[in-house]
This record gives sequence, C-alpha cells and structure tokens, in this order.
Amino acid sequence: MSDFKKQHPVAAVSQVFETIKQNFITIIILLFIGTSNTDGYFLYFLAAGIGLSLIAGVFGWWVFRYRVKNDELQIRKGVFVKNNIYMSKERIQVIDITEGLIQRLFGLVKVEIKTAGGGTESATISAISREEAEALRTELRNKYGQSTDNFEDDLEEKQADEDRILDSWKLPNKDLVYAAFTSGNFGLIASILGAVSGQLNEVINEETIEYLYEMLPGLNNVTMIITIVVAIIIISWTLSFLGVIFNYSDFQLQKTSKELIITSGLIERKHVTIPFDRIQAVRFVEGVIRQPFGYGMVFIESAGFNQAQKGRSIVIAPYLAADKFSEFLGDFLTEYQEPDYEIKPKPQVKFRYIRRPAYLLLVLLPFAWYFFEYGWLLVFLLPFMGLLGWMRYKDAAIGLDREYIRSRFRNISRTTSISKRVRVQNVNLSQNPFQKRKNIYSLSTTVASGAGGMSFEVKDLNGDACQQVYSWVTGISNGEKIDAVGEGETLDDNQ
Amino acid sequence: MQEEPVKRIHKNAIKAWTVNALIVGLIWFIPLVFFVVLSIGGTVNTDLKWYQGIDWFVFSLLSIGALFMYLLIGLLYPKLRWQRWKYDVSEKEVDLLRGIIIKKRTLVPINRVQHVDTRQGPVYRRFGLSSVTISTAATTHEIPALDDETANELRNTISALVRKVKGDV
Repeated sequence: MSDFKKQHPVAAVSQVFETIKQNFITIIILLFIGTSNTDGYFLYFLAAGIGLSLIAGVFGWWVFRYRVKNDELQIRKGVFVKNNIYMSKERIQVIDITEGLIQRLFGLVKVEIKTAGGGTESATISAISREEAEALRTELRNKYGQSTDNFEDDLEEKQADEDRILDSWKLPNKDLVYAAFTSGNFGLIASILGAVSGQLNEVINEETIEYLYEMLPGLNNVTMIITIVVAIIIISWTLSFLGVIFNYSDFQLQKTSKELIITSGLIERKHVTIPFDRIQAVRFVEGVIRQPFGYGMVFIESAGFNQAQKGRSIVIAPYLAADKFSEFLGDFLTEYQEPDYEIKPKPQVKFRYIRRPAYLLLVLLPFAWYFFEYGWLLVFLLPFMGLLGWMRYKDAAIGLDREYIRSRFRNISRTTSISKRVRVQNVNLSQNPFQKRKNIYSLSTTVASGAGGMSFEVKDLNGDACQQVYSWVTGISNGEKIDAVGEGETLDDNQ
Repeated sequence: MQEEPVKRIHKNAIKAWTVNALIVGLIWFIPLVFFVVLSIGGTVNTDLKWYQGIDWFVFSLLSIGALFMYLLIGLLYPKLRWQRWKYDVSEKEVDLLRGIIIKKRTLVPINRVQHVDTRQGPVYRRFGLSSVTISTAATTHEIPALDDETANELRNTISALVRKVKGDV
C-alpha cells in the first residue's frame, strides 16, 4: 500500500453533515427565530452557509491523499494551506473505525487514528470502504514491522496477545429500555422545547386558542397551561427515550490487556478505544430517577487526543446496578479500587446543607410572586429544596486510600468519582465569609479530562479533613506511608 | 489546617495593577462619551426613535456610577488583592492563597507540574515585574507580580524540583 489513495467521494458530504449534526439544536432555534420575525432572508444565509461548506468539502476531498509507507501513515491534505501528516506506526495508539449515518448509507466507514504520548495529534479519514479500513488497520497495527522470518511468528503472537479480548460486558435489551425510560435528559430537552415554543407565535395565536377552547370544553387558562406543560414533558420524554435507544443500542464494552473498547449505537455505530493509561477518573452517576431503582451510569474521564474538546467523558456502562459497581470495577478497571477510609462533613454543618439550595429560590420568589399570577406557588418547592439539601449532606464524602481518592457529592444526581492519587492534578480549598466563621472549607480535586480539567467538589469540610487530603496528595513515593490517612496522627486545626 | 503560605508578591504589584486598571477601566466611560457625542451632534427631534435628547439625570447617574467603579477597581481592589495574595513553594508542593471575599487556596503537588513559564506584559515591564505560570495536565496557575529576579529564580527552582522528583519516581 505504497501509492497514495483517495477517499470515497462521500467524504465531501460527510463533513457537512457532521457540522449540521453538531449544531443541530442551534440551527433549529435559529430557524424558529429567523422565520418568525424576518421575511426569511435568514434562510438564504443558512443555505449559503451549507453551500459553502459543501464546496469546501469537495475541495477537501479532492486534495486528500493517504498511504502507508516506510512504517508511516502519510496524509496530505489542505486546500490553501498544505498539511502533511506523518505518523509513525509505533506512535499510533488507537485506531477507531466508526460507521456514521452518511457512511452507513453507502456502506463505508470513518477511520480515526490517534497517536500516543502527551500529544494530541490525530488524523481522520472520513470515508473509505470497510475492506480498505480493515486492511489499513491491520497494516498499521503490525507495529513490529517487516522483521526477519524467525521473529515474525513470535511478534504476531505478541500482537495477537495485545488484541485478545479478555472480558466483555453487554447492555441487555431490557436494561436499555429501562435506561431510556429513566434518562434524565428530558429535563434539558423540555427546557429547549419551552424556549422554542415561546417562538411559536405563528402557530399559537388567538384563533387557534379559541378553536381549542371550542373543541375542548372545560378548558380554561389553568388547564390550558397544564395541558401545554404535560405535552412538553411527554414530547421531551419521548425524544430523550429515542436518544438513549439510538445511542446505546447493542452497547458493548470489551477489555484487552491495554485498552477498553466501546461499540454502540443503532443508526450510527460508534467505536471508541481508550488505552488504560489515558484514564484519569471513573465516575458513577446516579440520576434522581434512576437512584430509587438502584441504578446509575458509568463514565470515565480520559486525557488528551482532542485539543478542541475541553472535557472528555466517555460512557462505559449506560445502565448498571449500584451494587454491581464494585464488581464491574474489578472486571474492567482492575487498577481502581474503592477506598475504605471515609471523611464526611461534621453534623454541625447539616443545616447549612439543608438551607443552601433554598437560597436561589428565595431570590427568585419575590420576582415570581410579583410578575406571575401563580408565582407564589413556588413556595411549595421550598420543602423539596430542603430535602435536596439534606440528601446532599447525606451523600457528601471523601474516601481515601493510599493510592485512591473517592469523592461523592450530589448536585441533582449523585456522583461518585474514583481517581488515582497520581492523577489528581491539584487540590483547591475555598472559603466564603460564612464558612470562615465556622472554620470550614469547600474542597475540590481536579483531574485532567480532554484538554482541560474536571473538578469534584465536596462542601463544608473542616480543616482537619482538608489537611488529610492535602497531605495525602503530596505524598511522593509509592512505598511511602501516608500519615494523614493513618489513625494516630493528630493534626492541628488552624484557628 | 496546615499553615498558610507566607511569601508575599512584590509590593509594586499594587501600583502595576492600579495603572493597568486605570487604563483598562476607561471602558467604563464609553457610555458617557457616547452620550456626550450624541448630545453635541444630535437635536431633540431626531429621527432616531430611541434618542430624545440627552437625559441629564441618567447622564449624571451614569457618570457617578462609572467613576465609582473606576476608582474602586483602580485604587481599592489592587490593595486588597495584594494583601491576600501569598504563595509558597516547597519540595513537595506549590501552595497558593488568594481571593478577597471568597478565600481560595490551591495546592499543586510538585510532581504534577508539567511546565513553568514567566510572563511580562507592558505594564509589568515598567515596574520590573513578571508573573510565573505553572501548568499541570489539567489546569494553569499564575503567581502574579514578582520582581524579575525572584520570578526567574522561582521558575528555575520549581523546574529543578520537578526534575528531581520526576527523576525519583
């Protein structure tokens, strides 16, 4: 494969669709706003934008060439600025073959090639046939090159060893349906729908409303609002249901000696490979609807690969029982263990936790009361806020082990994150004037995720607890015993 | 809780921040200039629907507000900020303390540091100041306004410490 090859022409279009897909919500909202208060010249802009990116796509496809030569993947691309990418085989760490929607229509695949090291270099071949992709993959995978015959068997064996699937986990269809039912996304979709429906002046005008009144006797202002709200909830629930089904159908997690491989999706088959040494943290997120059933979702945070992406969270199990989590960790992330030793906020701060979520509501309440007829109804939310605060207090905890930290906290969903000590990039304490009076702090730890970081914050811990995390994180060698986690140490609280 | 860091940043920081804020703070006066220009150029019965001549009440309110913000940020804030800012670098960690109302303390273990830079903008240069930037895989932290010598020294110290620790592991 030493001659330069071109991609399938579909590559020219796939980029356009990718852009549309990524900005889908923005485009929908813009469409509504654009059509409701202009003569539609806005639509021409949109069409022109799509047209331009299509032309760019065609030129991009025209100049794109790739080949494998001298143990290197060589890619030439770029219309105005020529861009030559050379990736040596040894540095290639991950080869992902994905079937996007467009690619699938033509029986093609997309290949993403990512390199090892702290670098974030990656190359994408957007559309080639599956056979070509497989051939490319085999060729690039054959890291040990053309060595002499004696060694070849040995090396092939070594390669096969690395590729062998050690363990795998599938999402049962029944669980997929449960996951779709309990997905918390509907809240988000509902708020988008709410915003969009505000723009629906043309559809919902006085005539339609009068028509509705006539058609449905017993409809007054209150029931009307309730009907609209219920309708929005049902529509958004359906959308989020379908979203989960499309994303996580046939979800499969596989483990080899060096990496985790995830395959999922109904229309778009995604394939993601994550080397173990890129993993920074594991998160178990229990949504409010899922928690009562004892289920949650497992994410991992991984560093690097995509400079543009601030955070990189990857779902490795869309629906998993909480009591199976430890076992799951044991199977797939053997290096991660749950620490036994636990630090919790002191009972003295319980009331702080309980009243904190109510503050926002108390600020909103006067305005709501004044501006909306039924705004005072918000008062009834106060007990729920208190309940939320109490649950936050119950859940807040930091677990420490010699090499692991587990932060557990709740915003709405409960998150449990486990990270290795060496992956914790920094520890932050913050103290507002009220916390200062009580001599307590909010403590957060940051791990790398994508090109940025992700923080896990536990509020209202006392100085002693913070000190333990402080000393724990700076412990340098692996063999060294970390005093802070031991029993005997007494640490002075800074008065 | 372990003792708070003690090293202060350079006293000139206050002057540098003040100068900086007084230059940048001119933005606060844009609405005023806008108003004045309109009041000179425009007449009361202009075609502009929203412009009905200058409202002197709004004008004076805006000017007082802008002046207040300008002086607050230019004169008071740098002093408070300087008072709080403290740092410490030891063999194991970089410890930063800052924040005026909400007190923030950040601990960066030495072996997580990826690179250290010094930086100097035009205002800092006039006062002979530099800031030291410490980057980890996830975040970037800045110790602002040290005098050039201290900044360079600190950068070298941290980078030496990092090399030593990473060599150990």
